[in-house]
Amino acid sequence: MTRLSRGCAAAGRAAARLLPAERREWAEALWAEAHQVPPGLPRLAWRAGGLRLIAREATMARRLASALLFAGAAALAARAAWPGPPASATTTAARVDVIIIVLLLAVLPLLVHRLRGSATRGRLARFLRTGSYAAILALTAAKASVERFAGYPAPAHRPQPPASWLVRPAGTRAPGGGFAGWVLAAQEGLFRPTGGHVPSGAAPGPPPAVHYWTGEILFVLVIACYVAVILAVTARRSSVAPATLAIGTGAGVGLGVVMYAVAPLGLAKHATNPWLPGSAADPLVVLAWVALLGGPLAAGLLAARHHRRLHGAMSPGAGWIRQSTVAGLLTTLVGALLVTSAGTGTIALMPRASWLMHWLYPGQHLAAAAAHGHELAASGAAAGYLVLLLAFPVIGLGAGAWGGISAAEVPGGPGPGGGPPGPGPSPDPPDGGRSAEAGGDADRLLLGVLDLEEDRTRDLVGANGH
Amino acid sequence: MPSRPGFSAQTLAVLAALCPEPSRWRHGYALAKQTGLKSGTLYPILIRLADRGLVEARWQDEPQPGRPRRHLYRLTADGLASATAALSSVAGPARRAEAQSRSGRRVAAPGAP
Repeated sequence: MTRLSRGCAAAGRAAARLLPAERREWAEALWAEAHQVPPGLPRLAWRAGGLRLIAREATMARRLASALLFAGAAALAARAAWPGPPASATTTAARVDVIIIVLLLAVLPLLVHRLRGSATRGRLARFLRTGSYAAILALTAAKASVERFAGYPAPAHRPQPPASWLVRPAGTRAPGGGFAGWVLAAQEGLFRPTGGHVPSGAAPGPPPAVHYWTGEILFVLVIACYVAVILAVTARRSSVAPATLAIGTGAGVGLGVVMYAVAPLGLAKHATNPWLPGSAADPLVVLAWVALLGGPLAAGLLAARHHRRLHGAMSPGAGWIRQSTVAGLLTTLVGALLVTSAGTGTIALMPRASWLMHWLYPGQHLAAAAAHGHELAASGAAAGYLVLLLAFPVIGLGAGAWGGISAAEVPGGPGPGGGPPGPGPSPDPPDGGRSAEAGGDADRLLLGVLDLEEDRTRDLVGANGH
Repeated sequence: MPSRPGFSAQTLAVLAALCPEPSRWRHGYALAKQTGLKSGTLYPILIRLADRGLVEARWQDEPQPGRPRRHLYRLTADGLASATAALSSVAGPARRAEAQSRSGRRVAAPGAP
């Protein structure tokens, strides 16, 4: 019994650390009081009540659920990224990747908590954090799968396609023009010089380890920056307004959806729009450009105008610009993360999901060799997403700041206030909506209360009883 | 401070336990013994009351040797006013219910002499 009680105490002390600071001392008070309770069952019951107290706190339940969810998702990502030929650079890089990314996702919140306070409890902030974490874990797993596929020759049972298919499949135009041109140049020069996307006449093969590691280090750094920014803007001490968060996130989701529609299979045009072949894709590409440049600009403008409406035309311009810059940055961060994880995930699923090939290449009966060619081409083009992860935030920062400056220059903007007053604060629920532990004993308690109340009335108020 | 209606029977029991000597600091275990509440019920009630500013809490200045410091509780001025109002409001109906209960079947209230 003593051992059980001690175990209960140890579990409670450990669990109490998960509580927010303002609640932790109550749990500690309960544990301290346990020393006054007679040993044996009563003390065990007292400590069990302490565990219940901790579990009843809503934040605790949420934190526990979040921790379990994260652990499960991290385990799934690790499981997806782990297999592969031993002693190969691809396998090692994928394993190191997943370990570092999971560590980053676990440790960065602690660092941000120290610097910027705990995480905001708002639904939007929670959605942003959870969505980002899910996207990053999915991206890590998908990236490992794609790199494994792209870095090695086709399995023996699948015929190796001619190298020319990889560069220019029949019915598509040559890569290099417009949207994909600079991306292709960057990806081939920086990330995957000899990867899946190979020059004409060359056979695909594993790239040199040094290129893998350069790409991996860059990838991890970029992801760390993404996580840090998202945690910082959703922290309690962040100066980012909730409206800015909403505008940036909403615009980012829109941007991500448009970009994914344009580039479901990487950024190389020959592998980009099989489901909208030829010139049918051009309007969508134009829309993507508009969304990429106009999205963060519009988000920045909106955020700045909203800030100005709330704080008045005389508020310092720096406040508008800060809000607009963050809105622009968030738009591109969310957009880039969404399209990268969805696109890389699509490419990773291609060899496994036949329905995906039907969706991507509608109305085509693909022979095994042709299908493999498409998969390899897409795998090579997937590296372009990493360039996109790097470039989008820069565009977002610039466009967002520009939006803020534009809003600041508008003379006679909307004044402070405006609109009807919002509803007042809702009243506290009685007793926090807690259920009665002693449930059926309510009457007994009330009668006990009556007795005590009579004593109190006599002693303090001086009434003549009831 | 207006009275806050809607206190549960358990909360009223805690308020009633704290009311007779509002200036005296009480320990959690003593309150639990007096009200018959378990720790898992008592402490959430104390937390809500403290959040509303009806109960104040502090740590013991000088702990007993070999024992951790204990947490102490008492009613605030607002808490005393709210408790008085709440207890008065339940006194009438509960009294009638008690009378009916006693006339129908004899139920002894625990802790009653």
